[in-house]
Amino acid sequence: MISFKDLQYQIANKTILEDINLEIPDGVFAAIIGPNGAGKSTLIKLLLGLIEMQEGSVIIDGIPQKKWLKANSFGYLPQREEFDRSFPATARDIVLMGMAGTLPWGRRFNKEHETKAVEVMHMCGIGEKAGAQIGSLSGGEYQRVLLARAILTDSKYLILDEPEAGIDRPGVTSFFKLLKKFNEAGKTIITVSHDLHTLSKYCTFLICLNRRLHCHNNAELINAEVIRNTFGDSVRLIEKEY
Amino acid sequence: MPLFLISALVGAVLSGISLAIFAPYVTLRRISYMGEALSHIAFAGIALAMISGLNLTFGAWMFVSIVALGISWLSQKYKIQEANTITIFLSLSMALGIILISLKQDYTFDLASYLFGNVLLISASELWALGLLNVLNIAYVLFFYKELFYLSYNPEMSKVFRIRTQAVDKIFYLLLAANIVFNLKSAGIILVTAQLILPAVTAFNLTCKLYKAIFISVIVAIISALAGFAVSFALNLPTGATIVVCQALLYTLSFIFKKGRR
Repeated sequence: MISFKDLQYQIANKTILEDINLEIPDGVFAAIIGPNGAGKSTLIKLLLGLIEMQEGSVIIDGIPQKKWLKANSFGYLPQREEFDRSFPATARDIVLMGMAGTLPWGRRFNKEHETKAVEVMHMCGIGEKAGAQIGSLSGGEYQRVLLARAILTDSKYLILDEPEAGIDRPGVTSFFKLLKKFNEAGKTIITVSHDLHTLSKYCTFLICLNRRLHCHNNAELINAEVIRNTFGDSVRLIEKEY
Repeated sequence: MPLFLISALVGAVLSGISLAIFAPYVTLRRISYMGEALSHIAFAGIALAMISGLNLTFGAWMFVSIVALGISWLSQKYKIQEANTITIFLSLSMALGIILISLKQDYTFDLASYLFGNVLLISASELWALGLLNVLNIAYVLFFYKELFYLSYNPEMSKVFRIRTQAVDKIFYLLLAANIVFNLKSAGIILVTAQLILPAVTAFNLTCKLYKAIFISVIVAIISALAGFAVSFALNLPTGATIVVCQALLYTLSFIFKKGRR
């Protein structure tokens, strides 16, 4: 379980996150939603330890975050990974990055590591591209490579920051189906997303964030009013009876 | 062949190799401006070493290492644009160097040989130092291959996946500083950066594997050093500049080869 306690975060005197108290239970498919500038990516970066905590704390599996991060890593898929398309790496090299932290200095990957990486790539539907140069991959293929890298960490938590960015609509659907499979296999998934339509089919736990938390609950308990409060005037809701 | 010429030839080759080993990483990490800046900052280091009576090369290396680590720390800590930080340090160091050298009027300082390099002036101890530096470079690149690969790919993601790159990064800057300072005598402040980039960009035109790129980069440096030395000796041209021209020619050939292959 991941707990955020009294979290506050400011940048240049502007409050980005305020009074965040949140518990994400194990095994959920959680989605963090909110308008642009709501603090979603900041919350993820604080969780990953990519930015320093200012006030409040994060507890993971009952252990303070800094201590937890010394012994564990998250399976993380960033919003847009900056990389040089001509960088001399194959898709398999990038996937292997997920387990590079488990090897000491001076130790190279062996056949066993490489086989495991390719197996995970097959699970993510990208196995046949293992030897391809990263510059030759499409946006959707690259997202699957990054998902395979996150899976290879063997972390029970998968954190995704707008994974649908740069993928076409059919690609997004199959990507979320894949995430659902990993969720059913026991992974706790926390994703930032704007795609409410897709999320409504897959996520089980919704976190509505707009600087403050507007809700965090089982997805079916979230109603239009909460969504309206989170997004303000930036969305127009059309409610339908099913 | 006179002994001083043999020393100079060995010096040119060792100098080329040491810069060529680091060149692929400097290119992939897009920090060629750092090489440019550190070579200029070394000028202030030499001046400081001169004033304080230290060995010029060792003193300059100490100074450049501190500044290189400082730039890296400042830009990570305060998210300052590295290019801006470096330009400030570069200009300040050159100004400081000029002032310090002007204060030490009783000292004869061959500014031209530091600016443009003169491999003919290389001493036996400097050759040994270059040899040792090459051993350190090779050991570093072999031992930390995995960490350097991912550090060059994406430092932030390396941190997320707990790849131990922090110390590797610090050693990188210390060795980069050493490679620049120890090669000033042979390559010169102005031209050392060219030798820190050209062999790598040539190699990446020919291969898309990092270990092959390092190997090709070294081969390019050796061929350029030998050819440049021979041409400069035959036509009485400055050696450092001729070596850089040879590297540029090889780069052009590799570029044509790459275009022809598509």
